[in-house]
Amino acid sequence: MEQIEPFAEGFVLALAPEFVLVIGLFTLMIVPNMGDAKFRIPLTQIRVPWLFGGKRGKLDSDPRLPGLFATVFFTIAFGLSAVSFMGGMNKTQIITPGGTTMLQIDEFSRMFELIFFGALALASAASVNRLPATSRADRSLNGLYNNRRQVDFYILLITTGLGMAVVALSQDLFMLFIGLELASFSTYVLVSFIKESKEGTEAGMKYFIVGSVASGVGLYGLSLLYLWSGSLQFADLSVAFAENGMEALPLIALGMLLVGFGFKVSAAPFHFAAPDAYAGAAAPVAGLLATASKAMGVLGLLRLLLVVASPEATEGSAVWLVALGVLSVITMTWGNLAALGSTNPKRMLAYSSVAHAGYMLAAITAIGALNWEEGHVDMSNDAALVVVTALIFHLTVLVCFKLGAFLVLSLLESEKGGHTLESLGGLAKRDPFLAAAMFIFMMSLAGVPPLSGFVSKLLVIMGIVKVALLDVTVNSDLVFSDIHWVWYLALLMVINSAISVFYYLRVGLVMYFHEPEEGREGPLPKGMPVRFAIIACLATTIYFGVGANQLIALCEAAANALVGAW
Amino acid sequence: MTTDWISLPLVALPLVSSIAILAFVAYASPAARERMGPSIRMATLVFSLLMLALTTAMFFGIEYIEGTLDWASLSFGSFNYEFRYVWIESLGIHWSVGMDALSFPMVWLTTFLLPVTIVATWNEKNAAVYFPLVLMMGGALIGVFVALDLFMFYVFWELTLIPMFFLILKWGGYDRKYASQKFFIYTFTASVIMLLGLVTVYFLQPENLSYAGAWTGRTFDIPTLTLHAQSANAGGAWFLGESLQKILFVMLMIGFLVKLPSVPFHTWLPDAHVQAPTGGSMLLAGVMLKMGAYGMFRLPLAMFPHAAEHFQFALMALGMISLVWGAIVCLGQTNLKKMVAYSSVSHMGVILIGIATMQPLGWAAALFMMFAHGIISPMLFAVCGAFKHHYHSMEIGAMRGMAKHSPWLATSMMFAWMASLGLPLLAGFVAELMMFLALWHFIAAEGWSVLWMVGPALVLALTAAYYLWSMQRTIFEGGDETQPPESLKGQAVPDIGDAEKLAMVIMAAFTILFGVMPWIALDMMNGWTVAFFETLLIPILTGGA
Repeated sequence: MEQIEPFAEGFVLALAPEFVLVIGLFTLMIVPNMGDAKFRIPLTQIRVPWLFGGKRGKLDSDPRLPGLFATVFFTIAFGLSAVSFMGGMNKTQIITPGGTTMLQIDEFSRMFELIFFGALALASAASVNRLPATSRADRSLNGLYNNRRQVDFYILLITTGLGMAVVALSQDLFMLFIGLELASFSTYVLVSFIKESKEGTEAGMKYFIVGSVASGVGLYGLSLLYLWSGSLQFADLSVAFAENGMEALPLIALGMLLVGFGFKVSAAPFHFAAPDAYAGAAAPVAGLLATASKAMGVLGLLRLLLVVASPEATEGSAVWLVALGVLSVITMTWGNLAALGSTNPKRMLAYSSVAHAGYMLAAITAIGALNWEEGHVDMSNDAALVVVTALIFHLTVLVCFKLGAFLVLSLLESEKGGHTLESLGGLAKRDPFLAAAMFIFMMSLAGVPPLSGFVSKLLVIMGIVKVALLDVTVNSDLVFSDIHWVWYLALLMVINSAISVFYYLRVGLVMYFHEPEEGREGPLPKGMPVRFAIIACLATTIYFGVGANQLIALCEAAANALVGAW
Repeated sequence: MTTDWISLPLVALPLVSSIAILAFVAYASPAARERMGPSIRMATLVFSLLMLALTTAMFFGIEYIEGTLDWASLSFGSFNYEFRYVWIESLGIHWSVGMDALSFPMVWLTTFLLPVTIVATWNEKNAAVYFPLVLMMGGALIGVFVALDLFMFYVFWELTLIPMFFLILKWGGYDRKYASQKFFIYTFTASVIMLLGLVTVYFLQPENLSYAGAWTGRTFDIPTLTLHAQSANAGGAWFLGESLQKILFVMLMIGFLVKLPSVPFHTWLPDAHVQAPTGGSMLLAGVMLKMGAYGMFRLPLAMFPHAAEHFQFALMALGMISLVWGAIVCLGQTNLKKMVAYSSVSHMGVILIGIATMQPLGWAAALFMMFAHGIISPMLFAVCGAFKHHYHSMEIGAMRGMAKHSPWLATSMMFAWMASLGLPLLAGFVAELMMFLALWHFIAAEGWSVLWMVGPALVLALTAAYYLWSMQRTIFEGGDETQPPESLKGQAVPDIGDAEKLAMVIMAAFTILFGVMPWIALDMMNGWTVAFFETLLIPILTGGA
């Protein structure tokens, strides 16, 4: 383990993907502002080109420029993370001069960065052609403003990415919260970015109010933890929990933090803002909320529940076991039932993402059920590894098919559709490729083999079942009641995914069976970047299903970095 | 054996090539699609004939195919043309294929039905999309039968849903939306429950069996799991313990009973059949239903024989109810295709009864029934499809005196109906006779009430009744005085086309062939059953004696 102080040797290299994003941030601020301004050297007639200000050129006022820049920077950051992950990982910690660990670069954080940057790169590519050059009918300020709005959008996307990266790297609850807030605030604005529409503003407002209340509650819990242990380092907190985690104060704090992260993953009682936010936001942004933002929440939960409040604190199983189990059951059932009744495809996808949150919570619950008493720990780690791998795999492939589904909707949105299921009508005739892609995304969401959604669901079920059967000795005296009750979570999960087929199939039926709506008979807009992003999503959806081997190995390495640290 | 004769030619190529054709066709304009139709149809026909040639060569064990010549004396747990590639190493998942005498007849049947279906529905509209879907269906079905890995088995099990869903949705009848959805959701729900059972079994096996995953230490390999279960079940012990074995047996059986379908779960079948196009119905009834029975033999019966014995009564009761209920409902049908669909339910009851006898003869009867019904029921549906196509109606009273107006169709119908009701010298008769003998033998040996024979005896009469009655109303009644139905709007009554004639003749010929010389298929089925009983069931159920 290498330890580096800020700006010491190797610091920039260790955090290369993040620095690329910072450079991207400055580039986006500077480049679109460059003009032909000249600076006259005083007392002379010599004018030196100064570039800042003045009339802008054709290239730097192009409305597509910021989007392309952002996509390129996200792709570079993605590539750098991938290189550092796969090319022989060198675990590094960033410490303060006082010796406190702030950030840690390991397989786990790199894997999540890959998820974040991948999703952001796809979303920004998909937005390149979408935003109108000017916001109002009044175009008198065109010359000045014609790509300012785009710049804002992509700057927010980059700050979201930076915040998420900090969450992935953090080794300290405080750092984690800073990253979380940076990402959250950027997404609040992104959700209401189309400020001209009522839905957008309302969605952003709701999302902001509920989100900030959840963050506030979480932050209060954080302060209680600090009050209790005097440190917010994961390592210190973990030790403190192991010694006296059953006191009232840390438990209350834990509950409050659960609220904060529960909102981020849109778990059941905290999910109310999600459908409105998804429906009001532009489709790529909604896709981000459903994938990267959710991954961030799950990452926080994993850190909090598995590393900090480590189950060693209690006898047998984790303190939060029953609470989280109940939460997961409510979340998956509620999500699926609500999705059955929604006619807006974005709301439907929002509820389906609530249901997926339920599946993931069920998997985390299973880890809590492990018996942590002495003698079991080795095997438990093995089972926990399966579950965490399953979770990471699920979050990764979610970027492929859930974001992909939102991107298809985004193409429909650019012809003012995508808000009712009927606007998908006749898609098979209008654009066979898009319809086939959407159908495959839906099947993958439902968990139909051989798509990646099936493998991820299988892995989650396998993880839960493995934990449930851990203490079972296989012989002919085995009785069914020996099996741990988390097995029923797996049963509920399969029943729920059977329910979910109803609404996923309905999308397919509408696309292949219904006639197009009036005024929507023609072909869809071209939008090459979006289509390229959709093709990328489609290819990975299929590839990670048929050839899941490599991705599982990567996720396993990542999970090992988290679980092995226990 | 050095060449993998199954993976590429029988599974991967049909799937990949049909998907490639579909992707290619999707962007063609409607006119271009129309132009490409005939050549695509011819290509799929040639391809499926090549597949048929390959499986037929496998039957004869021609040396070029490096085959083991003898299917009948294959010992239990060994497979011909077996091949294994690592798929997902960490979880112990392999692409693993092979055939024994249980799966080979089903594979042959699939390859036989593919060209027949293509020929029988030669003039189906939107040919450029339809025929690739049929081919894809064939590839997925064969994948189910040759899979020797639970993961692969499940993947293909579910994959069959997608082409069938589209076949019903795009070429189906007026209520196709409801039917395709019901079909998909019913079978999907059942199979996810099965999946949970499979995963549970996966983690209950001891670590480090052969082909185990590098990371979980468990394997999805079906032969390995079966052999392990066999040793764990030996000597009266219950593999995984009594209560768990029963629960897992039920979970697995739910998946297979819905697919079969057996009575409480059968309601998707009539809907799917009535709405499905002819080709879809032919494959659905011919092969897809047999997936359920095949799965029972392959997994729950092999792994949980104690539980199977425990639930013997329930299985027998379900089989009886399916048999009788299906037949009674048939009597009340006015829709020709619905009647045929319910007769399938009734025949699937025969399979279930054969399994429930737990006698070698009963199992062989079930296996032969799977095969015979796989040839006869497509012919039934082909007749229904031709009827619908020519008379624009499926109602039994829509056309009377068909013998006069379209003699070819009337003859085919009569032949198919007779085959299905079990006329001697036709394939269905052999299976039914064997089932009767097995049931008698079982009742005598186990001391069950003779009343169990009432059901099958009653059904013999009922089946004859509904078939003859419907025949009388469509073919003969009215004689010379009849007029073509109103739905034809005064046009002359057509007879079936040449392609349809050809398909009917082929199916009829094979029905006769397997009726007169049943041993062609029965030998290997017998061999498999005897090996299964001698190696697996008898030592286990008699407590290792």
